[in-house]
Amino acid sequence: MIKLTTHEVCSTEEFQMVIITEQVKKAVEDSGIRDGVVFIITAHTTTSIMINESLPCVEKDIEHTLERLVPHDGDYVHTRMLHSYGTCSGNAPGHLKSMLCGNHMVLPVQNGKLVCGAAQDIYFVEFDGLKVRKYFIEVMGEN
Amino acid sequence: MSVVIHAYDDHPHEQQHLSSRKKMVIDIHAHPVIYGAICQDKETVAFRKQNFGLYKSSPTPMEQIFRVLDHAGVDKTVLLAEDYSSRMGKPLVSNQEVRSLVDLAPERFIGFASVDPRNESAADELRYAFQELGLSGLKLNPSHLQMRPDDERLKPLYQLCQELGKPILFHAGMSWEPDSPSKYARPILFEDVAVDYPDLRFCLAHLGWPWIDETVMLLLKYRHVYADTATVYMGSPKDYYRQIFMDHMDPGWLQNNLFSKIMYGSNYPRFRQERVKAGLEALPIRDDVKRAVLGENAQVFLGWKEDRYD
Repeated sequence: MIKLTTHEVCSTEEFQMVIITEQVKKAVEDSGIRDGVVFIITAHTTTSIMINESLPCVEKDIEHTLERLVPHDGDYVHTRMLHSYGTCSGNAPGHLKSMLCGNHMVLPVQNGKLVCGAAQDIYFVEFDGLKVRKYFIEVMGEN
Repeated sequence: MSVVIHAYDDHPHEQQHLSSRKKMVIDIHAHPVIYGAICQDKETVAFRKQNFGLYKSSPTPMEQIFRVLDHAGVDKTVLLAEDYSSRMGKPLVSNQEVRSLVDLAPERFIGFASVDPRNESAADELRYAFQELGLSGLKLNPSHLQMRPDDERLKPLYQLCQELGKPILFHAGMSWEPDSPSKYARPILFEDVAVDYPDLRFCLAHLGWPWIDETVMLLLKYRHVYADTATVYMGSPKDYYRQIFMDHMDPGWLQNNLFSKIMYGSNYPRFRQERVKAGLEALPIRDDVKRAVLGENAQVFLGWKEDRYD
């Protein structure tokens, strides 16, 4: 059995780690699936799904490390007018951070519940805000 | 020559902001073509994207638009209608649609009308847009209209704007819109308008790029000619503005000569409002010049405040 739901999120900052653990737990419980896995997948190329410990200091370290690796004001090719969009690009750092962090996470489902480590929270991470974004929660398994 | 100042009776939201005008940030140049509130049907969205040259871009929810404005510290945005209906059958964005967007957030949006001068009713439509819809200025794109700025069909519109004290924002220089030759919008072609309508306030958008020096000449010579910064066609706003204002121009051009003539304009959605503003704020220029560019000059252009002409 497979159950797919679509969710929206809109950040309040250009870079933001939005905790979506409760949304994932609810989607798993509502799915009717007892044992299997849940995929959390972003629909975009300048965002990521991440699992980490939701401590402000850890979140700051993640942000600062990504910024150091992919500086906001770096020299990027993707800083130009795009004929296919009719708009200027200029969000290369978002694309590169998304590449580094990945587009999805997977966690176990057992007895109809999400299985998470004690320190684990699930984040939707925005690298190119502020925008209304979508992510998918897909639960797969047996009921 | 005197500048016509509105009494504000029919625009209380404009008066409301006069007290805080020194810090006000105004984006003088935004196209609401993909604002979610006026993108209710797919056919209209496809028509706009094709004819405005936005192709793969998608409608933007109003929630996102307001969040970006709040986050970027942009107090007001001028929304531009676009009317080439004599060739397209209907406006890209109508005056009524702009009015409806202003009504959604009158403290945030300022509406500019557009009419197609190839329609015989253009002047009447413009008078209606000003007097009945309460729109604050006129947008014209000579490139998309495929007529020179001194075309006879435009003169009744200039006359009306001068008579009512309404500013015009002209597209100038390269137009990204399809079927819009740039030769009709070369800045030097607007000089006759400045000569023949000396009280008419008008803005040459995009700094008239790539003919920036022609734009600068008009800004220097004619009191009521302005330009906006909606000109980031290459690179990041930060790098581009440094190249234009610090390298192409001597730094003294903006700080000592053009400080009252350049206005913050993003050309949204082609460029993001917050990034254009950040690029201007990063310029190594005096704070009073930044304040003028980001909002004070727009208040004069809009007729809310008298210029200090010297």
